[in-house]
Amino acid sequence: MNDLLMMTGIVKEFPGVRALDGVDLDVRAGEVHCLLGQNGAGKSTLIRVLTGAHQPDAGAISINGEQVQLNSPTAAIQRGIAAIYQELDLVPELSVAENIFLGHEPSRFGFSRRHEATARAREILQGLGHGEIPAHRSVGSLPAAGQQVVSMARALSREAHLIVMDEPSAVLDPEEVANLFRVIRGLTARGVAVVYISHRLEEIRQIGDRVTVLKDGATVATGLDARATPTKELIRLMTGRSIEYVFPPRREILSTAPVVLEVEDLTRPGEFAGIGFTVRAGEIVGLAGLVGSGRSEVLETVYGARRAATGSVRVDGVPLRPGRVQAAVKAGVGLAPEERKSQALLLDEAVFKNITVSSMGRFASGGFLNGRAEREAAAQLTTALDVRPAGVEYPVRNLSGGNQQKVVLARWLLRECRVLLLDEPTRGVDVGARSEIYALIRNLSANGVAIVLVSSEVEEVLGLADRVVVLREGRAVHIGPAQDIDEHQVLDLVMEGSAV
Amino acid sequence: MTVEDGARPPEQTASTQATVTPPAAQRSTGLMHSGVGRNLGLVVALVLLCIVGVITAGHTFATGANVLTILRLAAVIGVVSIGMTFVITGGGIDLSVGAMVALASVWATTLATQQLASDLHWIFMVTTALVVGAACGLVNGLLIAYGKVVPFIATLAMLAAARGLAEIISDRKTQIITVNSFVDFFGGSLLGVPVLVWIFLLVAAAGWVLLNRTTFGRRTFAVGGNSEAARLAGIKVQRHTVALYVLAGLCCGIAAVMLMARTTTGSSTHGQLYELDAIAAVVIGGTLLSGGRGTIVGTVFGVLIFTTLNNVFTLNNLSISAQSVAKGAIIVIAVLLQQRLAARATSQ
Amino acid sequence: MSARTRTFATAAIAGLGVLALAACTSNTPKAEESDNAPAPQAVAAGKNDEPGQKVRIGFSAPAADHGWMGAITKATQAEAKKYSDVELIVAEGTNDVNLQISQVETFINQKVDAIVLLPFDGAALTPVATKAMEAGITVVNVDREFDSPFAARTTILGDNHGMGVSAGTYICQQLKDKKDAVVAEIAGIDSLPLTQDRSKGFKEALADCGLKVSNRVAAEFTVESGEKAAANLLQAAPKIDAIWNHDDDQGVGVMAAIKNSGRKEFFVVGGAGSANVMRDIKSGNSLLKATVIYPSTQGADGVRLARLLVQKKALGDLVEVEVPRTVQLYAPVVTKDNVDQYMPTAFES
Repeated sequence: MNDLLMMTGIVKEFPGVRALDGVDLDVRAGEVHCLLGQNGAGKSTLIRVLTGAHQPDAGAISINGEQVQLNSPTAAIQRGIAAIYQELDLVPELSVAENIFLGHEPSRFGFSRRHEATARAREILQGLGHGEIPAHRSVGSLPAAGQQVVSMARALSREAHLIVMDEPSAVLDPEEVANLFRVIRGLTARGVAVVYISHRLEEIRQIGDRVTVLKDGATVATGLDARATPTKELIRLMTGRSIEYVFPPRREILSTAPVVLEVEDLTRPGEFAGIGFTVRAGEIVGLAGLVGSGRSEVLETVYGARRAATGSVRVDGVPLRPGRVQAAVKAGVGLAPEERKSQALLLDEAVFKNITVSSMGRFASGGFLNGRAEREAAAQLTTALDVRPAGVEYPVRNLSGGNQQKVVLARWLLRECRVLLLDEPTRGVDVGARSEIYALIRNLSANGVAIVLVSSEVEEVLGLADRVVVLREGRAVHIGPAQDIDEHQVLDLVMEGSAV
Repeated sequence: MTVEDGARPPEQTASTQATVTPPAAQRSTGLMHSGVGRNLGLVVALVLLCIVGVITAGHTFATGANVLTILRLAAVIGVVSIGMTFVITGGGIDLSVGAMVALASVWATTLATQQLASDLHWIFMVTTALVVGAACGLVNGLLIAYGKVVPFIATLAMLAAARGLAEIISDRKTQIITVNSFVDFFGGSLLGVPVLVWIFLLVAAAGWVLLNRTTFGRRTFAVGGNSEAARLAGIKVQRHTVALYVLAGLCCGIAAVMLMARTTTGSSTHGQLYELDAIAAVVIGGTLLSGGRGTIVGTVFGVLIFTTLNNVFTLNNLSISAQSVAKGAIIVIAVLLQQRLAARATSQ
Repeated sequence: MSARTRTFATAAIAGLGVLALAACTSNTPKAEESDNAPAPQAVAAGKNDEPGQKVRIGFSAPAADHGWMGAITKATQAEAKKYSDVELIVAEGTNDVNLQISQVETFINQKVDAIVLLPFDGAALTPVATKAMEAGITVVNVDREFDSPFAARTTILGDNHGMGVSAGTYICQQLKDKKDAVVAEIAGIDSLPLTQDRSKGFKEALADCGLKVSNRVAAEFTVESGEKAAANLLQAAPKIDAIWNHDDDQGVGVMAAIKNSGRKEFFVVGGAGSANVMRDIKSGNSLLKATVIYPSTQGADGVRLARLLVQKKALGDLVEVEVPRTVQLYAPVVTKDNVDQYMPTAFES
């Protein structure tokens, strides 16, 4: 078999950390090769080596049997390697065509040939089955899925033979994911190889051909059949353990438990309308819906980060002043937002500062902070939540996604929140850490915290929540106990009537 | 990882983690963030400059009088730079500092203010300068926080407007201070150190405490580092932003008082290009221009490096043009070094 | 630094005992020879030029962002080089009074003998100049006056009021037959006392012959501002007979604006006396017919007087044994007839 790409014994060290410790990877032309591994297993570093952003300390890379040095991103691009990152690297103000040809604009004597660019962009987009995307539109006005297609078109415009996709489905709806897969199949049919990274095993089964599993910076298995390898086996390879139950057992909610959060007739024109639900102490209410159904917007409005046009939010019977985050925080409401890095964390600050940021008053007298008390309180929580690496002085940036999420939860635990709003609490969290987060959420509710959970993974909502609110196009189409509804029914409700 | 793992009792994890993380690792990150480690480059630069000074002009450079001359020069721009450090750390920029100094100095030396001061107490001149500075800062802050005007633009507008207003009030004439008690107090010395230098030291010390030991300082880092996260964590970001610009304005008011004492005048030409000097000092001190990281100690060093450089050049009869070249080189070298250090810190 | 000081000291001591020539050989011989050659004619002055006690002079002036200001520093340095017994320390160029004050403080620390100071703002530099005087340093104030008599031993001033009078008188002579003549004025920075003095003198001189300033605009001593102000003026006044422009630096912009407008019905009188303008006057084919001099040699005179003061010498050709308290320079009108006389002291802007 002729390998398109062959990486052997790749080692990459950073001061104090051996990020890659002998990784092997071989990718064939026309296949979808899935890369599996927990956060911190070395996937990102491997991609950076492959795209020329990092230089390996040891090991060899060959393309079509020829040994190569990828000592810059440009070198990788010239070798036909392109990458589509989780955070899309597009320029929102520029048009689709300009983005596709960014850096290699068709030009003559230094003058860009815009007509040619537009025509070629159209061709490429049609080739991807997305001829409906207008080449002159600004990229910022496209939906996430459209932007991803543009990213792919850019890779193709450089005649890439190998495209690396880092969690491409993270920002997509099921419908859009299906579309993405169509595009990927089109690519592989033309002999392009795809390295596909995802946390979602079911996706890997759908689209993948072969699987390579990384753990602790090394390849633990390679060339596995993406469809035939049992889930248990994959999880065992990734974690070194086997996971049987992901969701902790449900507990009975007493009907006498007091109602903590009451949301009534909440409306924001263009986003959602007439949303109402209640959450008792110790209860978890899940909001299910597609991206754009208004689920995150509802959560942020309850929190006061957005101002409701009508309706009210009450905590312990007391109405919150609308559009005021401070009012919500004061009343004991906490939010773990969807975009952890950009919305929740001070990435360069120490763990303890991230934890105490919402309860600073407690550690201050006359405005002066007691750093020692802060560190002690934070250390107690990080220990209890098993944040790794331990130690509250590390900048949060150095932590993995799951541990960063724990830091955010610790922040609200420290405040002794009465209501916790969780938006996609397991996004970017690997399978092992997920179950820890699930257990943590359950523990919190057992301690009487009222929790509202938003997730795009239906099974997560059903597995954790006591009651489910299904949103479609800004309206609640179903409210009821989680046991009374299954994944298919939820999906039916969610998709029904939505533009397909 | 099982359910039981997730709910692991705290004592057990605590004991396992103690072995996972060697204390040395913690200490090293602590040092990176502490004053000494980060300011090492600045200390070296200042010492080198002093060595050059001693070698080339030892008999005048290494005298107490000359040190005081350097400090007196550093004092005014130093106080402005402390205020600038807060604004930049909080993710903003203030281009109007020089103009605010001019306006405050003019307003505090109008005939009416001086009359009031000579009738009652010089404190009225000081209060006027501080109030004018803080009020300008308030306008900046309100425009930026609530008007959603980009800091660069809002303070650029203030730069033009404040100096213009200063020219209108003073009719572009130099206003001479006749309140002797004011000049005597601020022009004097305490324990052999000029009052101006004392003020600089006080402002710097207060600034350090405020930035590093109070909730205000912590919020400044949070707002500058990630304002959206700060907002969602329950910090009043807008109000804090206003406070930062008021603080910068207040520092300009203090600097205006100092400049008034030094020159015995108020003038619309005071404080020219102070915004650039202050930003340069803050940036070579190690404060991140994009916000979220700031250091008062670094800023003080930055100011001292520039003023010492100036002194060494003057003592050696070298032209101001050569000095400007040296200044530019220092800025570039400092920022390059800073980037290297930052890159090393994040690649780990 | 110290090595150089020693050289100077040696030179000075040598100069005391031996002939002037002996000192010349140890320092800047060329400048000295050319300057000393005609000296013996005036007995008193010749005596003054003989090397005496060594003098260290500190010099500080605003930023040379203007041709005249640049000329001040250049002329000052050139003058100091002519004297083997003068060491000039130049802390040149700043518009930040805080910095200029610290330069003077540095001079005090260095224990210079004299300071020649052209302050950015006379009032703002008064306290530190007073401090220098109290420390026993001779301060010579140049061009912009301090507001205390204790801040300087001697003050050298141009004659701003006189410039206006000279310019006004010249225009009167040229327009004596036209009673309804339109006279325009392009002033410098309007708020400066020197601009106000010039305008006042101009107005008074015009009033003497029954004329008045019909149009007045103000520029900012820069080429760019001169162009802008003149363009506005030409728009405002459809017919002009004469223009006085306060400053030859901004005059470059003024002449550019006039050239663009294509108008030729008037003549222009300049101010300050740059070499450019004098060449234009000499050529005779420019609208510029005259300029009024504001000497750019004030700093140089400051160095000379500071040297005399420190060496306790009298001013040549004066009976008085002390150097005068104030020296005010004259503001003559330069025309095609006398331009050759003033060409050597003109400054290149």
